Amino acid sequence: MMKKLLIVAIFLTLLAALPALVAESMLNVSVQMLIAALFATAFALLCGQAGMLSFGHAAYFGVGAFATVHAMNAFGGEGLLPTPLLPLVGALMGLVVGLGAGYFSTKRTGTYFAMITLALAELLHSLAPHMRGLFGGEAGISSFRMPAWGFEFGSITEVYYLVLFWTVLCIALLWGLTFTPFGRLVLGLRENTNRLQFLGYNTHVLGTLVFALSAAFTGVAGGLQAIHIEAANYVFLDAHISTAVLLNTFIGGAKVFFGPAIGAATMVFFGHITSDLTRSWLLYQGVIFILVMMYLPRGIVGETLACYRGKAGALSWMILLWRFAGVLVASTGFVLAVELIQRFFSTDYKAERMADGWPSISFAGFDWAPFALGTWGLPLVLITAGIGLIIYINRRGAGQQEART
Amino acid sequence: MEQIMFSLLNGVIYGLLLFMVSAGLTLIFGMMGVLNFAHASFYMVGAYLAYTLQPLTGFWLAIVIAPLLVATLGVFVERFILRRVHAFGHAHELLVTFGLAVVIAEVIKILYGNFPVDYRVPSSLNFSAFSLGGMEYPFYRLLMGGVALVMFIALYLLLTRTRVGIVVRAAIHRPRMVEALGHNVPIVFMSIFGMGAGLAGLAGAIAGAFYTTNPNMALELGIVVFVVVVVGGLGSMEGAMLASLLIGVMTSLAVSVNASLADLLDTFGQGEWAREVGGVMTLQLSSLAATLPFFLMLLILLTRPSGLMGEKE
Amino acid sequence: MSRDTLVIERLNKSFDEVQVTHDVNLALREGERHALIGPNGAGKSTLFHLISGHYKPTSGSIRLDGKEIGGMDPASVNRRGIARSFQINNIFAGLSVFENLRLAVMRRHGLQFNFWRRVSQLRQVNEEASDLLQKIRLTAKANAVAGDLPYSDQRSLEIGMTLASDPKVILLDEPMAGMSHEESDYTTGLIREITQGRTLVIVEHDMDVIFALADRITVLVYGEVVATGTPQEIRESARVKEAYLGEEA
Repeated sequence: MMKKLLIVAIFLTLLAALPALVAESMLNVSVQMLIAALFATAFALLCGQAGMLSFGHAAYFGVGAFATVHAMNAFGGEGLLPTPLLPLVGALMGLVVGLGAGYFSTKRTGTYFAMITLALAELLHSLAPHMRGLFGGEAGISSFRMPAWGFEFGSITEVYYLVLFWTVLCIALLWGLTFTPFGRLVLGLRENTNRLQFLGYNTHVLGTLVFALSAAFTGVAGGLQAIHIEAANYVFLDAHISTAVLLNTFIGGAKVFFGPAIGAATMVFFGHITSDLTRSWLLYQGVIFILVMMYLPRGIVGETLACYRGKAGALSWMILLWRFAGVLVASTGFVLAVELIQRFFSTDYKAERMADGWPSISFAGFDWAPFALGTWGLPLVLITAGIGLIIYINRRGAGQQEART
Repeated sequence: MEQIMFSLLNGVIYGLLLFMVSAGLTLIFGMMGVLNFAHASFYMVGAYLAYTLQPLTGFWLAIVIAPLLVATLGVFVERFILRRVHAFGHAHELLVTFGLAVVIAEVIKILYGNFPVDYRVPSSLNFSAFSLGGMEYPFYRLLMGGVALVMFIALYLLLTRTRVGIVVRAAIHRPRMVEALGHNVPIVFMSIFGMGAGLAGLAGAIAGAFYTTNPNMALELGIVVFVVVVVGGLGSMEGAMLASLLIGVMTSLAVSVNASLADLLDTFGQGEWAREVGGVMTLQLSSLAATLPFFLMLLILLTRPSGLMGEKE
Repeated sequence: MSRDTLVIERLNKSFDEVQVTHDVNLALREGERHALIGPNGAGKSTLFHLISGHYKPTSGSIRLDGKEIGGMDPASVNRRGIARSFQINNIFAGLSVFENLRLAVMRRHGLQFNFWRRVSQLRQVNEEASDLLQKIRLTAKANAVAGDLPYSDQRSLEIGMTLASDPKVILLDEPMAGMSHEESDYTTGLIREITQGRTLVIVEHDMDVIFALADRITVLVYGEVVATGTPQEIRESARVKEAYLGEEA
């Protein structure tokens, strides 16, 4: 218990000291990571704890963002809603919309539920551009952060602390929720809704409430985003926002409390640092997601925790290391292949071709001739070698297990 | 009047197209209990493959080969990906197909770019079938509808009149029993998945030439197809047909209506006030046409949750 | 003369063309232990489904203490005081044994929307759950994941959860299925103890258990009540013998 508290304390201190430790450009990314972590944790309340897969959570993120932007314009950072309190508007709007959407969605379960959430989000997304007053059409609505409580809120550092405060507060609240009667019931919803009914619980009401709570915290995340970029756009309601939070959550591990937050922060981080190097980050994320779903079903954090607690069976460090090496080799080959292919088919290359036959593709400091054996042979070899290594190690590991028993 | 006839015809054909895609989805769901999120992606792949093949093999061969390739892709997906996650539960399978949809869309973007490609109806088919009140009706639309109808009849006959069909229908309800009787259920599953994918691919190959072919088409169509299966009742082929036609016709008719709520209120003398209020009141039905299926879905959920022809849960 | 607590009158249930429950009449006396027996497929579980709200009756009435409950949803039926166990384990497999019981206990304390107190500090709820745990002899496994328990332990948990709502009427659907002789004996004693002052309807195939527990027995065949009476009467009934053995015995 003390060990856990210590870890948390150290971590929080690091986060608090971050502005002193990193460059300003990194602070921007850090804000994005925090917002994504909160979004994912709020999402996982519904998805992981209540077991209700939502494919349309962008709706509540967007609603929170727009409500906050309108509040920013209406209150000018003073009065009832000074800048630091603005995310409350996001929470409230998320809650209200979540109650309505949740009421409908939770009338069905499982796959139906998922499809309804998707359709509701798309409904909002397609209606939004038509409602200029609310959503500002194509351009969206913008605002300014106004000073309050002695802070200017002009610099990224102050925004960082504001976002940090709200993220930590909300995640702490969500953490606390898991220890309450309602929080335990939510788990019951996931495990066996049917039995809950026979125990006298109104599961429709329970489902609606957990949906609304998830939407409320998602609204806070949206509000923080609006404060950060001083704008809201109907793009926030788009399917790719729902997609992103879903991928992030399950890559981390939906059923482990901090899995989604860690997954989201990591994905945003890598998405950022690779943004200059590749245009195909979303493809990589999708592939990572599929591989995690197939081979690490509890999510990366979930599987790590299970390993640590000895639930995944006896595991030798050597095997793990070799597997990791195999993954590394295969991934390098895969990335190489994707990047080469992407450049080969890109419009830039097509333009170059017009001028000059079949020029070499430049990547990672090398020039790759498009039809040379080495260009495509290398990634193929790497991928095959990597996968081969993993299969070999798995077979040997299984053999050793058998030999022991 | 002719306008309405046109809209109706358009609606029926669009509905048949929706059915072509949702039939495969319904079949796969009924059999495996998995909603294939990537189903509309197969539709998209079909369109792009046909586009790629057309200059090489001509239009007709392209729309034959493309669905076959998509069916092969479907078989691969089932055998190597879905089978692996089957043990983890339906939610997991749904998520994997979701990831697949993302990956397929991204691959398409890499290979073909973010913008629509110029896949169009070949000039040999680009004529009008008949004219009604001065407006020309494109033959190609009728062709699409025709293919969809033929497909529906073929599917119906296959499932109800052939031995294979009976095995498949049995496997939907009692896979273990069917296996115990000696049939190779995994192969049945694989074939059904492949066939469903192929149907979606065929729909894409044909429709992509008429409507746009772009990396977003999977999402756009996919959502409407999901609405179709919720409205029709998941697992019900007749429901899917009914819902497809309903949504097709409804959307098509709405697109031609340029009236708004304000215009409606004109009949009560409140038109001026409505226009001053603005916003939702002045939205024309034609702009909202795309959102009507969602409202229909909400209505169904309130009044008849298991869908028009679905089984009670 | 104790009064009737659960009265079923002319209850019918059909699924499209198939009628599974035919004109069932049954009046349960308060506090009695009533066994429901019959060949497989006789409709015993269906009757439980109808009483507990899982199915809606096609016609007929089910009254608890005079109030009509036929057609109500399961949650409402449970709140009126009827709790049931399931033939196939219907527990929260991913949660601990203790958590299973605690969830079952919480509702009576009105805690379902409580998101400000910690469950570990709910003394009464935790005590009740512990008591139940003790009664079903699973105290040692309190923190075990319910889905990992051996089958008969899961059956015990199933019974424990049913009892947790402190019901007036308990419906037990083959509670002893899969248990060893010793476990069966213990559970019979447990059932006798926990149903003191409550009304019990139990579906079972083990005749020893039935004759040890039941005050009265109802025989159900093809969805129809063939006989109702004391164990002695049922044992000697020609109609029952005919229904079970298909001929004059």
